[in-house]
Amino acid sequence: MKITLELNETSRTIDCAVHESLLTVLRREGMASVRFGSNSGETGAGAVLLDGKLASSEVVLAAQANGHAVTTVESLNVDERLHPIQAAFAATGAMQSGYSVGAMVLGTLALLRTDPDPSENTIRDMLSGILDRETAYVKPVAAVQQAAAVLRGEEAEPFRPLMVAPITDGIHPVDHDPDDPPPTGSPAVPRVVPSRDVPTTTVVGHPEVKVDALRLVKGNPAFTDDFDMRGLLYAKVLLSPHAHARIISIDDSAARALPGVHAVIHHENVPRIKYASGGQSYPNPRPYDQVSFDNKVRHVGDRVAAVAADTVEIAQEACSLIEVTWEVLPAVFDELEALSGDAPVIHDETDTIDIADPSRNLVHHIVAERGDVDAALSAADHYYEQTFRVHQVQQCPIEPHISVAWLDSDERLVVRTATQVPFHTRRMLAPLVGREIKDIRIIKPRIGGGFGAKQEMLLEDIVAHLAIATRRPVRLELTREEEFIASRTRHPQTMTYRTGVNGDGTLVAQELQLIGNTGPYGTHGYTVQSVSGLRGLTSYNAPNKRFDCEVAYTNIPVPGAYRGYGAPQALFGLECHMEDIAADLGFDPIEFRRQNWAKTGDELTIAPHLGERAVVDGELDQYPVVGSDGIEECVAQGSRAIGWHRRYDRSWREPAGSRHIRRGIGYAHAMHGTSIPYLDMGGCSIKLNDDGSFNMLVGATDLGTGADTVLGQIAAEVLGVPLDDIRVYSSDTDMTPFDTGAYASSTTYISGTAAMKAAEVVRKRLKERAAMLLEVPIPCSIELRDRRAYAPDGRSVSMEEIALDSLHLNEHEQIMGTGSHVSPECPPPFGATFVEIELDLETGQVEVKQMVMAVDCGVAINPVTASGQVEGGMLQALGYAHCEEFALDENGRMLNAAFGPYWIYRADEMPRTDVFLVQTMEDSGPFGAKAVAEIPKDGLAPALRNAIVNATGVRIDQLPFTPERVFNALQKS
Amino acid sequence: MPRAISYHRPGSVHDAISLLVNNDHLPLAGGTVLNADDDPTLVSFVDLQECGLANIDEVGSRLRLGAMLTLHDLTTDSRVPVGLANAARAELPSTLRTLATIGGTVATRHADSVLLAALLVYEACVTVAGPNEESVVPLAELLHNGVDKGHLVVALDVETSGTCVRHATSRTPADTPIVSATARATDESAWLALTGVAAHPVLANPKDPTTDIAPIGDFRGSAEYRRRLSKILSSRALAEARKFA
Repeated sequence: MKITLELNETSRTIDCAVHESLLTVLRREGMASVRFGSNSGETGAGAVLLDGKLASSEVVLAAQANGHAVTTVESLNVDERLHPIQAAFAATGAMQSGYSVGAMVLGTLALLRTDPDPSENTIRDMLSGILDRETAYVKPVAAVQQAAAVLRGEEAEPFRPLMVAPITDGIHPVDHDPDDPPPTGSPAVPRVVPSRDVPTTTVVGHPEVKVDALRLVKGNPAFTDDFDMRGLLYAKVLLSPHAHARIISIDDSAARALPGVHAVIHHENVPRIKYASGGQSYPNPRPYDQVSFDNKVRHVGDRVAAVAADTVEIAQEACSLIEVTWEVLPAVFDELEALSGDAPVIHDETDTIDIADPSRNLVHHIVAERGDVDAALSAADHYYEQTFRVHQVQQCPIEPHISVAWLDSDERLVVRTATQVPFHTRRMLAPLVGREIKDIRIIKPRIGGGFGAKQEMLLEDIVAHLAIATRRPVRLELTREEEFIASRTRHPQTMTYRTGVNGDGTLVAQELQLIGNTGPYGTHGYTVQSVSGLRGLTSYNAPNKRFDCEVAYTNIPVPGAYRGYGAPQALFGLECHMEDIAADLGFDPIEFRRQNWAKTGDELTIAPHLGERAVVDGELDQYPVVGSDGIEECVAQGSRAIGWHRRYDRSWREPAGSRHIRRGIGYAHAMHGTSIPYLDMGGCSIKLNDDGSFNMLVGATDLGTGADTVLGQIAAEVLGVPLDDIRVYSSDTDMTPFDTGAYASSTTYISGTAAMKAAEVVRKRLKERAAMLLEVPIPCSIELRDRRAYAPDGRSVSMEEIALDSLHLNEHEQIMGTGSHVSPECPPPFGATFVEIELDLETGQVEVKQMVMAVDCGVAINPVTASGQVEGGMLQALGYAHCEEFALDENGRMLNAAFGPYWIYRADEMPRTDVFLVQTMEDSGPFGAKAVAEIPKDGLAPALRNAIVNATGVRIDQLPFTPERVFNALQKS
Repeated sequence: MPRAISYHRPGSVHDAISLLVNNDHLPLAGGTVLNADDDPTLVSFVDLQECGLANIDEVGSRLRLGAMLTLHDLTTDSRVPVGLANAARAELPSTLRTLATIGGTVATRHADSVLLAALLVYEACVTVAGPNEESVVPLAELLHNGVDKGHLVVALDVETSGTCVRHATSRTPADTPIVSATARATDESAWLALTGVAAHPVLANPKDPTTDIAPIGDFRGSAEYRRRLSKILSSRALAEARKFA
């Protein structure tokens, strides 16, 4: 049918199918800013203005829009400049991946037309239809406010950090002063607590606008699905309806006969090559318990077959025509039952090796011990044992998994894919498709959020097989339901802490017994549980420690990497356990922790014995030592911001006139890590251009975190140029240096040091060339700043002059440098998390009123992106603690595989969120940086639980704190 | 989306109904439910946007709301009682509220709809057009029986007086309530509606709210928990509504 739209104020007559959505048609018409989030429209990623009102185009038939005005962000892109709304979103750092920023800009446009000075509530209501897993909506609200001010003709205040005076000397605690007010102003503004140890810098430490801001706020093509391919085919995967079943036979004849179908693949026509899908360093942790298509399925959503066809609809129909004869097997979902010995055996095949005990579904048994835990526990003055259960949740990137594969003109396999690990993917894909690594190219464009879900080779082998089979480009994108059941999730665990404490409050022994649930496949099962042990046993000093962990196969949707990677689970148990011990012994909860927490100079004695490169046997000559910590300042800033003293005031906890309401404030301590020592590696190359600018190629994978910006700032600082002179490109396995990928809180620290090293190589040569031009005998006396090279006597040449001389005039050379870095260290960032709640005693409903997190991440290279990272992490952590949860029926089918039933926080319900960046100088990091990405996930769940304890005295040792769970706990008490 | 094989945009209710009597024809209002459905059944859509059903009219003491009014319209028109406007805002987020219609909400009969609960306490009556006649039925009755094939919700009329209050328990403040109680009180009387306790929102007896309800539990709340919530929340909502009536 033909429809006519007033599209961005131009009448357009468009051919479309009756069933096509407005989103599909707009994207086909080149409106790349309109993006897919789900078929039901509640993500808002595809929102447009329909007759001036913000509306999700996914749930509008194109035919419905016939005769109406449709506005997309492209309407604002009249020239190179940014519209004031776009400029405000860029200036305030109101986007990370920017996948949905187009919708936010449009919503702002519509709102400000009717309400030039909207209240914060009105802004949040506008944003309520645009889900965001990355910003916690803090900076988007500020962006709307700034845009409104500008459009009212007011001058926008520069968006720069608020420097907050330290409260402590960085070492000693101070008493919390209830009369000392916290800093005022918008929580969106990064609040930085400076350290005297940090030298002054020009670009580093400044709130530079993200290097990809322009393309994101303009909605320009940036993401995997934004680039057209001639002759593209569409893939769909037939997913298992059974949690555990054997495929007796598969008949694809009807599917193949369907017009428009080009290939059907399944276990009978795809080679059986064993692999593990987790995107990890060579050699991937075993067991290799997966194949592209198997004759057995092990969870609802497991792969059965895949189809490539002319359209998604044909591919879907073809999937429905594949006849599978099943032998349905009994299934098991709980990790304790799976290990009982009576459970169905999930991996009974003979070609998977290195499963610890297949007959018990035991994948791994991990043990690490320092000292003599049993003896110390027996001798301790006090002994505590406590068991916790943590649940399954999903990363929920708003951009679902998507991959496109094709054969290029040299018939090499190219895959453009939303991945956090392009180089691992290339290496892991090669054997599956029978090609050498040199014949595969992985391109990582912008990614609409990953959070670990995309640290996986999930779709790439399917599109590669289909592209090779059809010799056509093939695209595969997951629906939201598929994203829930067929991608990756967080590992559920059952954990028991056993702790011995002396009468003075000193820990003498601590053990973590953990049963991890890795679902049907190992993927990250070994490493996530190892990190649970690592994080769960290093926050506090104790001479005797033991980690004893069993990892179980079950039939739940597959767990994998999720931001925090085992730490949020372990620290939930640990921080609840420490809270309860403190209460039982009559200690102040923070003081008890302080007495035991690891701080500068303390050895981390069990750390080297856990993880991918664990020292399994024997002792080390030297153990890692904490090199810097800002935890005292974090606690002081956080205590002041939350009003910690109120938790001791009964009249506040039990407000008059609200008989059924209780209030509480909880705290949790967090110590995380920065990268994986001796393993994570990053590379960078930098070259000088004719105009004195630089191209910087990095293998690091910016997921929206701002990594490209941060790495550019590091290079700019070294080279004495503004960030705008560094053009950052990432990542493409043909073009950019190797990088292990975006995980383990490593990019700023590892790839940032690689960038610094590459820049230092270039700087050295720039100085030598400048010395030649300036006739200065000692090149190292040259100083680079303000795009110029200065001699000690003040004479200077510009970068452009150096570039033109070296490229065109004298002793011709390309000035360039490379750097790579791997670290023997893993400096811990620290965090203090505080949560204030109100709890309804009669219903069990918990409402979070405020969250505060003060983070020591060393030097924040970019305080805007760093504080944004913390805010986004806290939003995800809040969901983990409070409302997000996989609900499976007795057959393993997910009951809530959609946003809504699976609830993630919206803008109009977020509690106040305050972030403080407490500077310390970490000597091993670039310009003093440590990690910031994952630690925001660690403390919120236990802080919320401890707030419930403060409010009611009731201890709940299972997540999440949904109303009925809390209600039942209150009833039991 | 369902596989639409044809699309019609009739210019009147009469024309719409003449199409809807065909078995495979479905009325398309805002589309937030129908277009989000991935049922591959082949259907023909009858888009109601040009049927002239988007008016608000004051009729005596009652307000007549056209079926194609969007939830966004309800939140912005000052004639709409605050209790209804608030319920419309709570029903859906901003990007869906501009599409979803009041008629579609009624026809869908979602068990957790706080807007339907608000309409119940505002004594909503639904005008349903059929091939031969228009009829007016109380909303409670329509929610129980559904809309017959070939019939169309064309309008609702509601009372506008009194104070309306909603109390709810949910996982988070904006989440769809596990159970909600909406009460409306005037000087003379009170009305109470519950969500989350039956297959669709129901009117409850203000004097004994849990009589005749048999909640079905799910992963968000067991049947027993829902029953308990309905008692607590009803009590709170009625007390507050009466206090400010």
